[in-house]
Amino acid sequence: MANNLQTTPEEELFTGGHGGCRGCGAAIATRQALKALGSRTMVVIPASCMATIGGSGLTTAWEVPFYHTLFECSAAVASGIRAALDIRGIGDIAAISWAGDAGTADIGFQSLSGAAERGEDIIHVCYDNEAYMNTGGQAGGLTPGLARTTDTPSGKPTRKKDLLAIMAAHQPAYLATASVAYPEDLMAKFQKAREIKGFRYIHILAPCYRGWKIPAARTVEFARLAVESGLWELYEMVDGQKKITCRPERRIPAGDYLRPQGRFQGFAEEEILALYHN
Amino acid sequence: MIRQLLNGNEAAAAAARLAKIEVMAAYPITPASGVMEGLSRHIAAGELRCNFIRVESDHSALASLIGAALCGVRTFSATNSQGLAYMSELLYHASGLRLPVVMAVVNRALSAPHSRFPEHGDAMAQEASGWIQLYCENNQEVLDTLLQAFYLAEDEQVSLPAMVNYESYIQSHTREVVEVPAQEEVDAFLPRRLQAWLDVEHPRGINVVTGPELYMDYKYAQDEALQRALAVCGQVNEAFAARFGRDWGGAAEGYRLEGAELAMVTMGSMAATARMAVDQLRDEGQKVGLLKVRLFRPFPAPRILRMLVGVQTVLVIDRNIIYGSGGALAREVRSVLSHQSDTPVYSFIAGLGGREVGTGDLVKMYHDARQAQASGKKPAPYAWYGLTG
Amino acid sequence: MSKSLTLPRTPSAEAGTMARSSLARVWREQRPLVKMDLCNLCGRCLFYCPEGALAGGREILANLDFCKGCGICANECPARAIVMQPEYTKDPGLIGGDE
Repeated sequence: MANNLQTTPEEELFTGGHGGCRGCGAAIATRQALKALGSRTMVVIPASCMATIGGSGLTTAWEVPFYHTLFECSAAVASGIRAALDIRGIGDIAAISWAGDAGTADIGFQSLSGAAERGEDIIHVCYDNEAYMNTGGQAGGLTPGLARTTDTPSGKPTRKKDLLAIMAAHQPAYLATASVAYPEDLMAKFQKAREIKGFRYIHILAPCYRGWKIPAARTVEFARLAVESGLWELYEMVDGQKKITCRPERRIPAGDYLRPQGRFQGFAEEEILALYHN
Repeated sequence: MIRQLLNGNEAAAAAARLAKIEVMAAYPITPASGVMEGLSRHIAAGELRCNFIRVESDHSALASLIGAALCGVRTFSATNSQGLAYMSELLYHASGLRLPVVMAVVNRALSAPHSRFPEHGDAMAQEASGWIQLYCENNQEVLDTLLQAFYLAEDEQVSLPAMVNYESYIQSHTREVVEVPAQEEVDAFLPRRLQAWLDVEHPRGINVVTGPELYMDYKYAQDEALQRALAVCGQVNEAFAARFGRDWGGAAEGYRLEGAELAMVTMGSMAATARMAVDQLRDEGQKVGLLKVRLFRPFPAPRILRMLVGVQTVLVIDRNIIYGSGGALAREVRSVLSHQSDTPVYSFIAGLGGREVGTGDLVKMYHDARQAQASGKKPAPYAWYGLTG
Repeated sequence: MSKSLTLPRTPSAEAGTMARSSLARVWREQRPLVKMDLCNLCGRCLFYCPEGALAGGREILANLDFCKGCGICANECPARAIVMQPEYTKDPGLIGGDE
């Protein structure tokens, strides 16, 4: 069981030396997830920070098969991997499509929706840092309203796309949210997803300190504050039944999560919340 | 072997079935849809053990085949025009990753204006994508060339994707008698030489960021491999001819080129029309022959040069237009003949978007070229043939 | 037309090839100091470290080849057993002592 930190495998399937920024929330998500998924895993990542930080030239930090694909199509590539493994009679390897919020909700959404509708036996993971961080921090569909990004310096005028509702509408075999601040919960969900057949969707809130304009040391803390504020709920859905998986030990006002983030600077809590997705 | 009345799409589906493709992904597009429909029926009837991925776009079709090919299985798709254009960035991925994906391309004019009709413009727009490009004259050649394409693409010396081109409606929807070889014969002809690059036992990071210190070397290796396809294409053709008794000439085929003063050069279905034009002109005593190009990428320059030895005039008919430049095939032929500057190359753009090109049209182009040459006029870079009015 | 380097046919890198020491040590501004007398071996820092630079067991050890000095471990440690130490004190150009 991976949901006990003491008994989680020590094996690193995404090793140190990678090219991520210090305090990279996406790298934390990857390390935690791979501990639960194990070595019989193939990972496809479209254009994103995670596609590029895992090596260069003839070196790689990946210890599982990894393919850096194009921006629109990670779920389609994972579908192809699954089809090939199945025709070769290999059922125990997990095919993972691992995309950022753009490769999931925006440019990658067509292939994701297609794979979900077909019920592909893959796991799609969205590591959500709420902006296009690999290209300099522009706003995207999963950027919350009023967040100041490099292309919305006055604050993004529209709200965050409710992608979880959209994915739930595809009636996947498994759907879950996760947070890098709750590794036991995250790893338990990956373990559970691995055992289920069909299309599985896991959405991880993985802050990026540069985009959120917070101190790098507080990356995990802000992921936790999101849960404690009630703005990021940890749950899973099996057969359409939603179950809260982790209740925070304390509750905080939403403002305590939002106000310290530099990206919301100059906006009042009520203004930000008025555009918040839930 | 059995003889069947097959249209081009059915011939392509028969070839893919005989090649025992393992993963197919395709998105409906007119007129290529018949290929995926045919293969779906073969799968449903239990005649083919293949996973068909019913993707939501052409882009995802090739994306999923790249994933499958990285796992070392035989992959196949069919598309054309807008679908091929939509796949464009993935074409470069497949070739850059050296994956032997095979695809039937049912050449159709690109929009706008909207058209469903034959033209090579869709494939020509991808000439730099690193794919092997083969062009077919008739439906038998579609079936045979696809079988050859799997061989060629998967050869260790090559390991590159290949597209087999035939034209919308003229070929895709026109039935001809096609000899369908027996499964055992195809099995004996077509070896399996596929490598799984995604492998949990030997994990690799594929397509990691590549800087200036390596990128160009990878590209050199890729171009070198594509150039090697020239020789392998000849070997495949010989092996195929020996087993099945049909010799398509490999990279190019000559028809009545012996003693020809003028050579018509063309590709695809136009070659069939050109054969009739050559016959007619030869009957009238004209010294003319046909050079049919089958392999456009890599371009078989040495072969073409040898075939054109002794020819005084070249007439190239392109069913495509590279805007602002001319016909793609004429450009290649001129390049080949660049050190024989006294051989004029007349270039006609004809048959775009399905405009009819009959035997009489090719005969007229022949006489136009001859007249222009007799009057000492230098050939124009290219001329449009058959415009209205 | 000649080249000496043999590249894999498919552009790729074999697992296990990541440099065993990264350049982080050159630009890292601070490093974690684990006070084992305060540490309760809960292991949270191991899971929060983006680099996998912390190893557990009977004590927590930081691999300073990989540590980029983000400070997440110190920020998250429930026992306040990790403190971040600056890499340089007086001379800002001087990289901290040997690991």
